[in-house]
Amino acid sequence: MNDTKSPPTPKEKVGVYICHCGTNIAKVVDVVEVAKWAEKNPHVEISRENKFMCSSLGQELIEQDIKEKGLTRIVVASCSPHMHERTFRTATENGGLNPFLFEMANIREHDSWTTDDEEAATQKAKALVNGAIERVVHHQPLEHIPVEINPNTLIVGGGIAGITAALELADGGNQVYLVEKQPSIGGHMAQLDKTFPTLDCSACILTPKMSDVGNHPNIELMTYSEVESVDGFIGNFDVTVRKKTSSVNEKCTACSDCEEICPVIVSSEFDVGMGTRTAIYRPFPQAIPNTYTLSRTTDDSQCVAGCPIHQNAHGYISLIAEGKYEEAVKLIVEDNPLPGICGRACAHPCEDVCDRGKVDEPISIAFLKRFAMDKVGDYELLRPEKERKERVGIVGSGPSGLACAYDLRKNGYQVKIFEALPAAGGMLAVGIPEYRLQSAQLKKEIGKIKDIGVDIQLNTKVGEDITLEELEKQYDAVYIATGAHEERKIGIPGEDLAGVLSGIKFLRDVRLGNKVKLGDNVIVVGGGDSAIDTARTAKRLGVKNVTMVYRRSRKEMPADFDEIEEALQEGINIEFLTNPVEVKGKKTVEEVTLQRMELGTPDESGRRRPIPIEGSEFDVPCDNIIITIGQRPDIGSLKLKTKDWGGVEVDEVTLQTSKKKVFAGGDCVVGPDTIVGAMALGKTAAESIHRMFEKLDMYAGREKEGAYLSNIEVDISGREKAPRARIPTIPAKERSSFKEVNLGFTEEAAQQEANRCLHCSICCDCHLCTTVCEPDAIDYSMEDEIVDIDVGNIIIATGYELFDTRQIPQYGYGRLDNVFTSLEFERMVNASGPTEGKIVLRDFESAPESVAIVHCVGSRDENYHKYCSQVCCMYSLKFAHLVHERLPDAQVYNCYIDMRTPGKGYEEFYDRLLKEGTHFIRGKVAEVTDSARTQEEEGKLIVQVEDTLIGRQRRVPVDMVILSPAMEAQPDSKETSQLFKMGCDFDGFFIEKHPKLDPIATMTEGVFLAGACQGPKDVPDSVAQGAAAASRVASLISRGTVMMEPIRASIDAEACSGCKICNTMCPYNAIEFIEEDGVSHVITALCQGCGTCVAACPSGVITGAHFTNDQLISQIEGLLWDMRELEAVPAGKEEKR
Amino acid sequence: MSEQFEPVIVGFLCNWCSYRAADLAGTARIKYAPSLRPIRVMCSGRVDPQFVLKAFINGADGVLIAGCHPGECHYLNGNIKTLRRFLLLKNTLSQWGIEDERVQLQWASASEGIILAERVNKMTEEIRALGPLRWYDKVLGGNGAVPIPVKEK
Repeated sequence: MNDTKSPPTPKEKVGVYICHCGTNIAKVVDVVEVAKWAEKNPHVEISRENKFMCSSLGQELIEQDIKEKGLTRIVVASCSPHMHERTFRTATENGGLNPFLFEMANIREHDSWTTDDEEAATQKAKALVNGAIERVVHHQPLEHIPVEINPNTLIVGGGIAGITAALELADGGNQVYLVEKQPSIGGHMAQLDKTFPTLDCSACILTPKMSDVGNHPNIELMTYSEVESVDGFIGNFDVTVRKKTSSVNEKCTACSDCEEICPVIVSSEFDVGMGTRTAIYRPFPQAIPNTYTLSRTTDDSQCVAGCPIHQNAHGYISLIAEGKYEEAVKLIVEDNPLPGICGRACAHPCEDVCDRGKVDEPISIAFLKRFAMDKVGDYELLRPEKERKERVGIVGSGPSGLACAYDLRKNGYQVKIFEALPAAGGMLAVGIPEYRLQSAQLKKEIGKIKDIGVDIQLNTKVGEDITLEELEKQYDAVYIATGAHEERKIGIPGEDLAGVLSGIKFLRDVRLGNKVKLGDNVIVVGGGDSAIDTARTAKRLGVKNVTMVYRRSRKEMPADFDEIEEALQEGINIEFLTNPVEVKGKKTVEEVTLQRMELGTPDESGRRRPIPIEGSEFDVPCDNIIITIGQRPDIGSLKLKTKDWGGVEVDEVTLQTSKKKVFAGGDCVVGPDTIVGAMALGKTAAESIHRMFEKLDMYAGREKEGAYLSNIEVDISGREKAPRARIPTIPAKERSSFKEVNLGFTEEAAQQEANRCLHCSICCDCHLCTTVCEPDAIDYSMEDEIVDIDVGNIIIATGYELFDTRQIPQYGYGRLDNVFTSLEFERMVNASGPTEGKIVLRDFESAPESVAIVHCVGSRDENYHKYCSQVCCMYSLKFAHLVHERLPDAQVYNCYIDMRTPGKGYEEFYDRLLKEGTHFIRGKVAEVTDSARTQEEEGKLIVQVEDTLIGRQRRVPVDMVILSPAMEAQPDSKETSQLFKMGCDFDGFFIEKHPKLDPIATMTEGVFLAGACQGPKDVPDSVAQGAAAASRVASLISRGTVMMEPIRASIDAEACSGCKICNTMCPYNAIEFIEEDGVSHVITALCQGCGTCVAACPSGVITGAHFTNDQLISQIEGLLWDMRELEAVPAGKEEKR
Repeated sequence: MSEQFEPVIVGFLCNWCSYRAADLAGTARIKYAPSLRPIRVMCSGRVDPQFVLKAFINGADGVLIAGCHPGECHYLNGNIKTLRRFLLLKNTLSQWGIEDERVQLQWASASEGIILAERVNKMTEEIRALGPLRWYDKVLGGNGAVPIPVKEK
């Protein structure tokens, strides 16, 4: 225990004052008794009770006693120190004592108000007073720490409260930083049409203030920005603000040319989904700052990220939706030299990750590309801007080689491709059947690649016709992309019999026009795309019975779903869960023994493992067996280092092989892969080769090459389902030829399909806007800016959010078309809104004949928010008035719980509405439904409500329902409160210092509140609080310095053992270790006085001023005066005190 | 009325959250057991385990430590250190036969007067069920100390 405690010397003279607080304390606590009892304490010189200690009489009593009776310590037992500690410290100081020689006992909030038990309350009061007396004798005189106030102020939130505060301060000559999350200031008020009860046009009264802010020399406006961190304390806050990039610089003249050309149409936040906006936008015409913002996200769209070559699918989909096909094609060929081929035969991994799939089905991304390419017909690949001298040799003209060649050629390098086969295109030419990819198409696209200067030499096998070494000598770099053209074997008896064919060779022979003879019964082994291709090709060659044998079930089958379907339509039989075990025959195949399988546990591919069923073998007669179970590379002649299974060994990032100048990619490195996968590696190799030539870092910043999952998330709530367009095909009976099966979208179908895009990353990176911007203001390379600002005070005015009415499903919002929210209606009645002020139903045409307005949606409701949102009654009345004004014949019903109109002119407005003929129904609405019970209700929305004034249930049929949702705290208010070290209540509203006397300040000195972030408020209240916060700050600024509590830690260097435990305890890094002395030291300027280090010090040598061990231990002893067991302990055994 | 055991609980309340929660409970006139005797500390992190022992030695039947919710500490993370010390302390105390109910930790923000009040009520009932602590009996029992509690109410 603390045995260093020194007895207080010389004897202190304590004055004790017990407050009655009128009857607040005296009614429960016997204050006279407590005062009398306290006098018995040996430290106490005088003990008094008084009706109101906080009154000037009470304070004078203290001052007088100090002077006359020579008191050295003061204890006041009254209310919470948060209420009057300052008052009594001042009185103590006025009496001539150091203000810290005072202690307060809280016998009101912590005692008399919490119990009716008078005896217990009095006993507790004695304990609290005694604790204070025992504590105060150990108090030390302390001096306040003066802190200078930086005259700059940060205001967070540019709604009406923040705007008001900013103008008040700036007009007074102070520098203000106004930070707003949105691209424009104005907040919710900018969205409103009229303001109650005066019916002022909201924009008319707000926009002049907004432009004042925009033009004010003392206001630095930081829109589209968020506060990232706050350090420091009153007078000296160090704030970091992230200015999100708008990708538009100060040259913007707000001419709107960019907006007109932008192909991305998303729902407008400002119009709460009632209208739309483009990706580059201005929230509303009067926006301040009056400039455009390009909505870009931190990552790519899912389809772009998920595409191994990052084809800008989002871009071309948006352009197709707008009918800009030429532009779409231009965008497509920027990344992809095989556009029409990919539009037909790509495995489209983009569609697997498409966010639209979360709503219904993914967008048909690949076929849209085909549509654009077919529609436009001709195109030009990009040509180099300047020629370079470096030469690159590419081995293999498949998709990987071609993609590599295109990227290198774009950069100006001299490229030559060597192809072993008599046709260019690799697997495209010899692996994919004609009915999926027409030779003419392939020829055309390879022709385009040749057009930009890529040379292709056919019939030249590297390793045989020319050696790799020779290539290395002739070229500055070599890319090997020879593919995987050798079929793997199953490894069963009889596999070498005549009539057993390799699938890949079969497809190659058919494509090259070599003669292939098949019998009437053909069995195809395998379940991948090649197996399907093989089976369908065999069928087209006239084979009567084609049977596919696959060892797993349909669910695990790797082939494309649609193609399996098409194969079945064409009469191909598929035997699932079946595997060949032996091929029988003399010289040629006669029959095959098959075995049935069942599925066991999943293997490393995640698919369930097939397990043979013993004794299930059966023989099937057949003429040919075609094996298509996978291919492997054949690169023995190249003499490169390979992996066990035969693939070339390369550096995973750069694709460099064991030879420095030689790179490899595609199927010869990774095994059989998709077209786009092979192309991606070609592009990676092109990048590596470019970096090698340019002598750049081969590894830096390459994390996002190849497919990855984007981190953006799109809100899919309330999206209507619209099925994916199906690609039309030629009828199954016409599929005996090698005609292309898929026909391609019609223009109408393509546009409709493209319009399903959710624009998950908003801006689609098509860069069309840059082509029309005359002042050259759009800059895609702009990045977020981090700005550090120093301020003395902070005003938080972050406002509110509206309650999501979907949470109350019985009110039908989102389900019943003509149920609107208040904000939707505000936008609707606004002359500059989406309907130009016309009140119409969701069809944007018909006017309602009757309207019901539902109050208290989510407010005053145990299930949602218990509080009253204060403004809904008034704006609901305003809505009723606006409906009367615009649709004089319409009936308006206001369903309310209580009508709350407590403001200047508010009740009068209510009275006016009563006279205007609004029907008022007092009762909480139970339900809004479209299920009619009578003829009259047919086609209407029926509002079911109990009219509590007539005591009857009513069903009110109306055309339109407006919900008046609760005002809620911002969804991120908790994080905001932590950022600024304020408190926030259960509902998320920020806590003021005192609900009655200080609704402006927070617990943190120098941080103030304004507007609805503190609780629901209307415009005049927000303005008042904004101005009040500004005046509080102005007062601090003019004071120049404030006095801080001297509660700080200090270390007795003499006694410090140098264990450093405290160093890590301090959250402010205020404790440093002084190496030469071997002791720790508190940096007073950084210390905030929490005392955590004091509690942690094993030597007990850290002193927390005003909360010392002596003081707290004595307070504990004092508090427990009536519990002391130790007095009965024999002398000598007593616990050290 | 029969003599019912009225426990005494020493409360260490942090200045920013729980002390204000107790203020709010009072302001809102929430009635709860008069057993709590609060001590204000700037942060719950200031609560030295020796304070808890001192309270028990001096006759308290229970100790309640209250601070801001994790993540809401006025001093960033003082309450997390409190939590660590609290767990260690409870372990130690239980080895001396002091029941877990006697030393409790409660997070209460400034708006959670009702939560603090309910915790005091619950804790009071739990300790009432356990009976007085009798530190000298329990911890120093058989060690020469003769505990004869004198309550001079």
